[in-house]
Parts: sequence; structure tokens; C-alpha cells
Amino acid sequence: MHKVSIIGSGHVGATAVYYIAEKNLADIVMVDVVEGLPQAKALDYLHAAPMRKYSVHISGTNDYKDIKDSDVVVITAGIPRKPGMDRMDLMKINVDIAKTASQAIAEYAPNAIVIVVSNPLDIIAMVTLQESGFALRKVFGMAGVLDSTRFRYFIADELGVWPGDVTAMVLGGHGDSMVPLSRYTRVNGIPASELLSEKTLERLINRTRTGGGEIVSLLKHGSAFYAPGASVAKMVETIVKDEKRVIPVSAYLRGEYGFNDIFLGVPVLLGKNGIEKIIELDLEPEEKKALELSAKAVEEGVETLKTFYRPGVSA
Amino acid sequence: MIGIIGSGNIGANTAFFLAEKGVDDVMLYDVQEGLAKGKALDMMEAAPIRGYRTRISGTDTQEDVLGCDIIILTAGAFRAPGMKREELFEANKKIIKNYASKITNPDTKVIIVPEPMDSLTTLFARISSLPSVQVMGLGGVLDATRLRFFISKSLSVAMENVSAQVIGRHADDMIPVKNYCSVSGISLDNFFSEEEVEELFKQTREAGNLIVELAGRASAYYGPSAVIAELAEAITMDTGRVLSVSHLLKGEFGINDIALSLPCVIGKKGISKVFEPKLSGQEISVLKKSADLIQKTIKEAD
Repeated sequence: MHKVSIIGSGHVGATAVYYIAEKNLADIVMVDVVEGLPQAKALDYLHAAPMRKYSVHISGTNDYKDIKDSDVVVITAGIPRKPGMDRMDLMKINVDIAKTASQAIAEYAPNAIVIVVSNPLDIIAMVTLQESGFALRKVFGMAGVLDSTRFRYFIADELGVWPGDVTAMVLGGHGDSMVPLSRYTRVNGIPASELLSEKTLERLINRTRTGGGEIVSLLKHGSAFYAPGASVAKMVETIVKDEKRVIPVSAYLRGEYGFNDIFLGVPVLLGKNGIEKIIELDLEPEEKKALELSAKAVEEGVETLKTFYRPGVSA
Repeated sequence: MIGIIGSGNIGANTAFFLAEKGVDDVMLYDVQEGLAKGKALDMMEAAPIRGYRTRISGTDTQEDVLGCDIIILTAGAFRAPGMKREELFEANKKIIKNYASKITNPDTKVIIVPEPMDSLTTLFARISSLPSVQVMGLGGVLDATRLRFFISKSLSVAMENVSAQVIGRHADDMIPVKNYCSVSGISLDNFFSEEEVEELFKQTREAGNLIVELAGRASAYYGPSAVIAELAEAITMDTGRVLSVSHLLKGEFGINDIALSLPCVIGKKGISKVFEPKLSGQEISVLKKSADLIQKTIKEAD
């Protein structure tokens, strides 16, 4: 049985655990700094096991030692932005959390593949890569899968077709500058552009861009966690089952798509070794421009990061 | 209740997949006395281990299945090696005619499986009192499933990431629509040369024949059964799956009253929408030729 550790036992982390357990994908260790929280949630899940019939083991801990020899580690820990909080302050806190987590992963689970979920995603992924010292293919962020699944749902809903029949590719940074590629959006193979007007597609793209925000404004307190949890579980499944899926993840680029030394959402072949290949699409000038804008937003974030962070030095 | 007429390899495996998926209760029927009951009992005896709750029953009485919500027609002669699908028309048309007049519940959805499938679907739909959106032939979606397998195998990517549409006749002149094939939305051109794509299409066209040749005494049944179960699930659960099934065309590409596969939205009423694909002039002429062939087959037999 594989072992997956989830760092952060908030809504996203705990919901990912749910999907992973229901599919019997791996034994799960839930980690959180809050004493009792991961233990309680793990126990609660185990109480449901006789009914739900999953056979994986789930445990909760406050000690990073327990992630020992994990095959996959997911970093969901971080604080959400509170009203009035500066973006920079938020970044500082979450970078610090990611740093501690990454160093622990390097120490206790040196062979793990790391999926970064905490925001600002493309920045936290950078910190995780540097602090862990892991190979590029083993550290990446979850964003495109989530953005794509939202886009897929909106299209299926519009057409009245099964959401599972819709495929979509959302590239770029995880934020307002994400790049949903309508050209790569299909309904069981049929290009969405043949089934929906340009205007409708544009509306659905905009809704995708603000999909996270839509949930936040409905919930008032808190943000989405079902779709994010499901997206994490899908990536975990792809890795532990070596499914070799072509999906968008936030990957460290070295020249691909003309970008260097940033994390950006691009399609990859994902399998048991992590990113087995970055797939370079032939982008049209307009798509390229959108991706460049997105990359620029990430680069600006990296510049901000550099003002207070150097690898290996505590803040 | 899903009724399956014919409890041979395809009928029984369809029941098996439906049970595993928990779609709906299944009633198997066969002209050979005891066969349906025996297979149904065997499947139910596996239920405690497999954990399905669907009830599979068998009957020797045709009337027991005629009122089902979905009727899957699998009875008929199958191909021997070297045989063309069209050669089975004579042998199978009697069965089709018989059921087309006997299945009269206006809500029943019928899935036609025997070969030559498009000709038999045409025949059934023309005779039947059912709305033509409730009569579907197993064609394009099976061919597309095979093509998806070939594409994913050759790229070593997850099969679920590969989508494809194959339209037209379920025979050598089927039309795999290249623009409608993709890996996670990415066009085949990103992965294959034109020759390689042609080779994949050729493999797809010959896939059914290859299994007949290899198996010797049987035609394919795992693939077809899995696809039938998927179709029955889409109808029962009203999922709106986009699958290419054979059905009477109503003027698409200038073709009327002949059943061929086009991508359809499948739901509780059968076909709720047909997507008319963008085809090249050459593809349209293949489609028209296929329609002529079907018309000829039916006429000659009259």
C-alpha cells in the first residue's frame, strides 16, 4: 500500500483525505500544527470505515516524523487572507509554513513526490522546490486540474451533457490571469467551439477565471474545498496508480514555452515518477500573449518573494 | 428493468457489467431453454462476493422482456472468420422484424446489436411504432472505444484522457473523425504523423475482424458488452453522455430514413440531441455511399 501524507488538516486537506480513502488509494497521514485536529479528523474518518468499507489506514499527527517514507506529500497548510491583510504579509506567513514543511519532507520522506496546494501557489511551489532540494519533476502545484474541472463543469452545464465527457485545458498561473484554452476544450472529442458560440464560451471562461471567487462570495467565510480536494485526490491517484495522465499542473519551467525559472501551469504527462514530460502545445499568438501575461504576474510574485526570502535562510 | 434478448456472450456479459455498475435490474431471455436462467443464477451467486445489489433474472418466456424500459437486442447469428457483416442480414432480419412488431411499450428504448447493425437498425426503426430517437444501434461508440484504446496504448497515456468520435457505418467504411480525436483536448497532430494516424484508423477499421480471426469461433463481446452497458447506464441515469450511436437520420448530410452513427446526447428519452459534425467533402461522400449500401442491402432482401 502506498503512503500519502497531507500537511494541513483544514477543509481542503481533509476533503482530499475523504476522496483518497473512498478510492482506497493509499494509507494516509494527516499532519497539522493544531494539536488534536488531525487526530480527531482521522479518527472520525476511521469511525466511518465500517460503513464506507475503505481499507486504508488513516492517522493524525502533529509530528512531521510520522510522514516517514511517504510516496506522496501534499502541502495544503497555510492561512487564508483575512480582511485588511496585506498580500505581502500573507505571503510571508505561508512561505514560512511551506519552508518548515519542505525541510521536514526532505528529512523524513526524501523520495516523495510533493504536490503544492497552498497559495500563492506558484510562489509556494518555488519555495518548496528550493527548500526540499528535490528534482524538478517531483515538485509541482495543483491548479490547472481545479481550474479545468470548473471550466468542464460550466460547459457541461451549458450543453446539458455529462461533465465527464468534457475535457479542458487551463494553463498559466493560478489566479485571475489563468489561461483557459477554448481550442483544447472538447465534448467527447468534439471541439466546444463547434457547439457553443464564441460569446457563450467567453462567458464561461470568465466564470472559470472567477470560479474560486464565486464560491468565496457565496460562503462569506472560507473558500472552496470539495473541488480542490477532488483535484488533489485525482493527482494522487494518477501518481500512485502510475496512470500517465495528460493534465495541467504548475511545473517549474526551464525554457519550455519560452519561460525560465518560474512555476507555471502547463500540460504534463503525470505518472509514478511525477512529471514525466512537459507537453508543449503550439499556441496561437493570442494564447501566447495571455500566457505571457500570466507568467508576468507570477514573475512579479517571485520578485516580491525575493525581497524577503533566500533559500535555506530562515525568515 | 433492462431486458436482454439473447443470452450468449454479448447478452450475458452486458448483464454482468450492468450488475457490477449497479445500473438497474436485468432480465435475460434466450430461445434456448434454461440458458438465460442458468446464467442469471450463476451471476446472482457471485453477488455476495462482488457486492452488487442489482437483481439478475432469467426467463424462457419472450413476453417477460417485451415491456422493459430498455431492451437490448443481441440475438442472432454471428460471424465466422472471413465473413462480412453484411452477409448476416438474411439470417438476422427475421429476428429484427419479429421484435420490431412485438416491442410496443411507447417508452421502451431499444439497443440493436446484431450485424449488419446499421441495416438492422434501419429495418427495426422503419417497422417499429417507437419514436426513432428510442431506437439506437451499437456502432460508432464501439469503434471509438477501440480507437481510444489504440491511441492510448501507442502513447502510453491514460485511456480516460483519450477521446474519439467514429461515425458512419459500423463496417470497413466507418469514418474516424480526426478533428474529434484528442488527448486531454490536445489534437492528434501534436503526437502523431499523418501516416501514424492513418495506421491507427486502419487498426480501428479492422479491430472487429481481428477478434473474429483470433477467437475463431466467436466475435468480440467484452468491448461490445462494456459499451452497451455504458449506453444503458446513460439512458437509465439520464446522464447526457455524448456517444456516437446509429439511428435513423432525418436529413443530416442529405440522408433520410437510413441509420448511421453520429454523435448524440443520450438520456432517459434515448437520443435527446444529434451533433452534426463538420465533415470534409470526401467524408460526406463516404457517408452517402454507406447509406446507399444499407438501402441496397435492405431492398435486395425484400
